[in-house]
Amino acid sequence: MNLHLSSLRSTSGLLYLSALAAIPLCAQQASTSAPPTDLVLKNATVMTASHGTIEHGVVWVHAGKIAEVGATVNAPANAVVIDETGKWLTPGIIDPHSHSALSNDVNEATSPVTPSMMMIDAFDNRDKALYQALAGGVTTELLLHGSANMIGGQAVVIKNKFGLSRDAMLFPNAPRSIKFASGENPKRVYGSRNQLPSTRMGNFEVMRQSFEDAKVYMAGWDAYNAKVAKKDATAVAPKKDLKLEALADVLRGKLYVQIHCYRADEFLTEEAIAQEYGYKIRAFHHALEMYKVAGQIAPTGTGIATFTDWWGFKDEAWDAIPWNAVMSMRAGVKVALKSDSNDHIRRLNQEAGKMVHYGGATEDEAIRMVTLNAAWIIGVDDRVGSIDPGKDADLVIWNIDPLSTYARAEKVYIDGDLFFDSSAPGFGTPHFNGAMHSAGGDGSDDEDEDGE
Amino acid sequence: MTNFMKITSLLVSAFALSSSPAFSAANDSSQSPAKKGATLAITGGKLLTVSHGTIENGVLLIVDGKITAVGAAGSVAVPKDATIVDAHGLTVYPGLIDPDTTLGLTEVGADAMSNDLSEPSDEIMPHMHVADAFHAETELIPVARLNGVTNAVVAPGTDDSVAGQDIFIQLAGRNRDAMILGRDVALALNYGADQRRRGGRGSAQFPSTRMGLITQLRQSLLDAQHYEADRNAAEKKSDKPAADKSAAAADKAADKAADKAADKAADKASDKPFQRDLKLEALLPYLHGERPVVVGVYEAYDVESIMKVAQEFHLKVILNHVTRSQEILDEIAAWKVPVIVGPIYELPRANERYDAVYTLPAELQKRGVKIAISSGEAGGPGGAHTVRNLPYAAGFAVGYGLPYDEGLRAITLNVAEMFGFGDKLGSLDVGKTANIVLANGDPLDVRTDVKQVYIDGIAQPMVSRQTILRDEYSK
Repeated sequence: MNLHLSSLRSTSGLLYLSALAAIPLCAQQASTSAPPTDLVLKNATVMTASHGTIEHGVVWVHAGKIAEVGATVNAPANAVVIDETGKWLTPGIIDPHSHSALSNDVNEATSPVTPSMMMIDAFDNRDKALYQALAGGVTTELLLHGSANMIGGQAVVIKNKFGLSRDAMLFPNAPRSIKFASGENPKRVYGSRNQLPSTRMGNFEVMRQSFEDAKVYMAGWDAYNAKVAKKDATAVAPKKDLKLEALADVLRGKLYVQIHCYRADEFLTEEAIAQEYGYKIRAFHHALEMYKVAGQIAPTGTGIATFTDWWGFKDEAWDAIPWNAVMSMRAGVKVALKSDSNDHIRRLNQEAGKMVHYGGATEDEAIRMVTLNAAWIIGVDDRVGSIDPGKDADLVIWNIDPLSTYARAEKVYIDGDLFFDSSAPGFGTPHFNGAMHSAGGDGSDDEDEDGE
Repeated sequence: MTNFMKITSLLVSAFALSSSPAFSAANDSSQSPAKKGATLAITGGKLLTVSHGTIENGVLLIVDGKITAVGAAGSVAVPKDATIVDAHGLTVYPGLIDPDTTLGLTEVGADAMSNDLSEPSDEIMPHMHVADAFHAETELIPVARLNGVTNAVVAPGTDDSVAGQDIFIQLAGRNRDAMILGRDVALALNYGADQRRRGGRGSAQFPSTRMGLITQLRQSLLDAQHYEADRNAAEKKSDKPAADKSAAAADKAADKAADKAADKAADKASDKPFQRDLKLEALLPYLHGERPVVVGVYEAYDVESIMKVAQEFHLKVILNHVTRSQEILDEIAAWKVPVIVGPIYELPRANERYDAVYTLPAELQKRGVKIAISSGEAGGPGGAHTVRNLPYAAGFAVGYGLPYDEGLRAITLNVAEMFGFGDKLGSLDVGKTANIVLANGDPLDVRTDVKQVYIDGIAQPMVSRQTILRDEYSK
């Protein structure tokens, strides 16, 4: 994000970190009863994100899944019924670009190609940023490697079940994503060390070379597997190489490719390289100049996860305009909003509200940018992101229209279980009453780019 | 180079597109001045006066850039030759004022050459005048103006303990002189971890601790007081021949005995002119309490430490930030100092409730503290690229308990009053500068669209570098 800002901050972030390191690790789960098998939330204004808004709507949750939604439902008589008159109900907010809760280990900035880094290894499930996001209605996050490297590490997808164990917070069977980057960050990080890459030419050549290496590696394994299939006794397994294996998985189409990319020319180059090596790009992240080439990118099926109105923090963000999201959407690109920030993640609903202002998105379109479309970026849109039967009961109760400046998340359910209740004393977290951690800093992409 | 080319080509296309002024010229509204003495009448809108409530179906008259009448339809006579602006369905409110920005001191955040934020050579830099660096033609100003921000305080970056002196600007004008309404309106003072470490903790450079910072500051203020005494003595000495000739010679003679001691004390080099010390001299108006000192500080214990120094030297304090001072709000209220609270988006510490900072404006206001709200992002210097989000920060405070009227006041009249412009700006009142915004709804709501901004009664072009890009690529 804001580079000069974060460089000014880095020292204070360190201070908080060191001060908090003294707090003993004593987080413990609060004792809670199991959620009801059948839960009915009635009389709310229900923004489904998939099929419009239902006034005085009812949502029936059965065993953690949405069983029915509509003006009425056929829930069993013993269901727990909560009257939400006057409240608004949306799917849980989904952030397709976060660096929260990664123990400040966002970038393995020691090589421009680090595809075997697994973000789960840095995931701290008691980081305060998760709690603060939960209180903003966020139920699912894609935790990404930073943008120091042209090819970064592999993301972890979490459900924000704050207070549960680390493994219980992982989104079950979520697709694997890998983070790529481009532009100023890699060239700055490695250029400042007089290494390749220090230009955009270098950036892209580093990528091409990586995929050439991966092709050779794959060919070696393909040959070996062919011999094994033929029961050839002379078959010798090649050496397993984590880095090349991960790159091969990109070429095999096993990883969703998420690319940090700002400039119009770079979207085009990235698409050309993807085509050359035969992989698909799931989404461009930041994508601040997408409005310039949206008509060209739309047919590729690549989506974007963009900021609403951040601009000017560096040269490649100079042409950012707040109409980017809606203009790109109108041109046929799938658009999600994202935080890339421990601050903005707490108010993505209002970021969506800005889309009504900047470009005249309908409220339906706006809420979709932080729910269903964000779920699509991660590849979990068949499970979360809208209020539809069969989907996970990840739901947020708001005091008023969530797109308003004055909106507050009052209750957050994940898999039908209540994880945040602003009316509860203390943190308002039924599953957590221990001590939180702080990784320090603002959780933004660019913050730790230099590994400083 | 790339940027320059881009800008140039866009400039050309922008002018080809329309005759509306664009880019650097967008800050200059003098191309379409209203006729002298002509009346502009904004009628039918919902007036949020800030000073005296809301007027549904109101009428606002503007002559020569000043508000000449405010009232309900029917209670204000609209002259026959007035130019009528129909504001039915629109909300009309005074231009917003951001109390803490770096507008004109930064362009591209990461581009060092486009930043003039902090002078890092020393911690005590009161002689840094923001007016000397303010870039009136910045592309950031039209962007902020489009969302209804018409005035702002510009303060230096926050690296230094004493960072320099602020300006108060209007977000329109032909050049710097037209845009700066007040030079050196306040002294920017910062205290806390950020300043401590910039000397490099663990390095040999003083000051590397809070003890060092406070000692250094206190010594500087004492030095300034001592300097003033020396200067006064030197002035009296050099004044003497002139004074003797004056009609007040008799009075002066009475002072002579006292002066003699000073004369004797003066060193042998008394023929030399007194050498001014610009740095120490810059502190004097603030030691005299003539202008406010904006004290940027976050943690409760830091607030208490720096306030001790401020009180010792009778500084006229405006507190800034205080986002981690929840435990001393009563104490802050007892000091009877105004507070710029925020950024409201400052992150609470671990193990604080999620709304610890969101509720701060409401908690302070409840205790009778006069508050202003700023637009900055968490942890950094004042807002620049984010200034356009000022109304949303106030709205957020309202969402967490601040009464609506107080939220609007915290980004208009309260800011004007804190910085000495309370008689000219910040409300819809007769005699005030006609900085007025027309929007299609609640100004504090993110969904609201600002339709027209008036500064000095002149309709501003609703154009920024960003709208030009939008329009260019919408074709």
